[in-house]
Amino acid sequence: MNAAPVLVGYTAAIGFAAPYLLLRSRWPHRAPALAAAVWHALAVSFAIGAALAAYNLAMPTEHLHAGLVGLLHSCGLHVDTGRPDPDTAHQLAVALPVAIGAALLASFAFHVVRARRARGRHRQAVDLVGRRSARLRATVLPYDTPAAYCLPGRRPRIVVSDAAVRQLTREQLGAVLEHERAHIAGRHHLALAAAEAFHSVFPRLPLARHAREQTALLLEMIADDRALRSHSHDALATAMYEMVASRAPKGAFAAGGHGALIRVQRILGPRRAPHPALWGSVAAAAVVVPLLPLLVACPPGLG
Amino acid sequence: MRRLGDLEAEIMDRFWTWDRPATVREVVDDINKHRPVAYTTVMTVTNILYNKGWLLRGKQGRAWLYSPVRSREAYAAALMEDGLGASKDRPAALIHFVENMSDEEVAALRKALRNVGRQAKS
Repeated sequence: MNAAPVLVGYTAAIGFAAPYLLLRSRWPHRAPALAAAVWHALAVSFAIGAALAAYNLAMPTEHLHAGLVGLLHSCGLHVDTGRPDPDTAHQLAVALPVAIGAALLASFAFHVVRARRARGRHRQAVDLVGRRSARLRATVLPYDTPAAYCLPGRRPRIVVSDAAVRQLTREQLGAVLEHERAHIAGRHHLALAAAEAFHSVFPRLPLARHAREQTALLLEMIADDRALRSHSHDALATAMYEMVASRAPKGAFAAGGHGALIRVQRILGPRRAPHPALWGSVAAAAVVVPLLPLLVACPPGLG
Repeated sequence: MRRLGDLEAEIMDRFWTWDRPATVREVVDDINKHRPVAYTTVMTVTNILYNKGWLLRGKQGRAWLYSPVRSREAYAAALMEDGLGASKDRPAALIHFVENMSDEEVAALRKALRNVGRQAKS
């Protein structure tokens, strides 16, 4: 039996319905690392599902019109002759999933390399222009508004403006720096590159769009949580406010979203870790979800 | 062990601090107050900086006079804006602490801080 209809249904559900389900849940902001893992698991599951669905659709079946070749045929796209050659169909059946996998890998590599190159150029300039502070373990740039960012990767840099060093309290600055260190230590740029790569391959897919956005926000929350281990909630929240408020809004960038607002509300709100049972079942789901399409396509016991 | 980048930074540091055209000899003499460095090394690295577009040069008599293309502050501002703004384009390259927000969002943020009885300095 051809598993194509089930696979197509499953893949569509993951790609279109699952993101909205996840966006509506409340637990992701309480367990950001788990939520980021779930978004990535959904992306992997979608990719495997799509690859297997493509394989099953292109695979010649006894029922010609069930296959992709038959579908193309009925849509008026004649593949050579009226009767598709089983060999061609078979090659297509293998080529499609391989192409999906290769596109994802190539896209990931592209994003990683491009980002690394951009960081390398930026780091060289930062090293020339800025002053390294051994005390802060950061590079200080002369700039008149408080700001901070990090260059993750192999030779990481944390960059802060001298205004941030002057205007923030010691505790606030410490919280900001710890937040940036968490990004670097957690290699968050790779998770971002993966989400970015998935989005480049499936640009219109709701799952890809939301996974990219949510991954960025969840990584900020993970870094916030890390900073809160050694710094007060007040320090981190007020530091965020200082940085946001002192920056002149620029029309083009103002559409940046309300990530900072969500984060501040989260930092100041009651801290509740999700129930262990919920945590456990979500974690289990994150592990199983990528394997589901395989179970559908080749049910154990049927070979 | 000092790397090339460190010497580049030392040289640029001097041009930015002096804020006037200077010769390689002046730079070498100034660095030599702190540590020994060969004239040819500084000469080579200064040339690299010129070729990378960090320095301008003009001939005065027999010596080249070098000066920075832009001030340290101008470079820093460009870098900061790149680091804070353009990351929408390539988010994996630079991760910044907070994104740019509209006035309404800043106001909402202030309210969130005030609601829990904390006074944000402004």
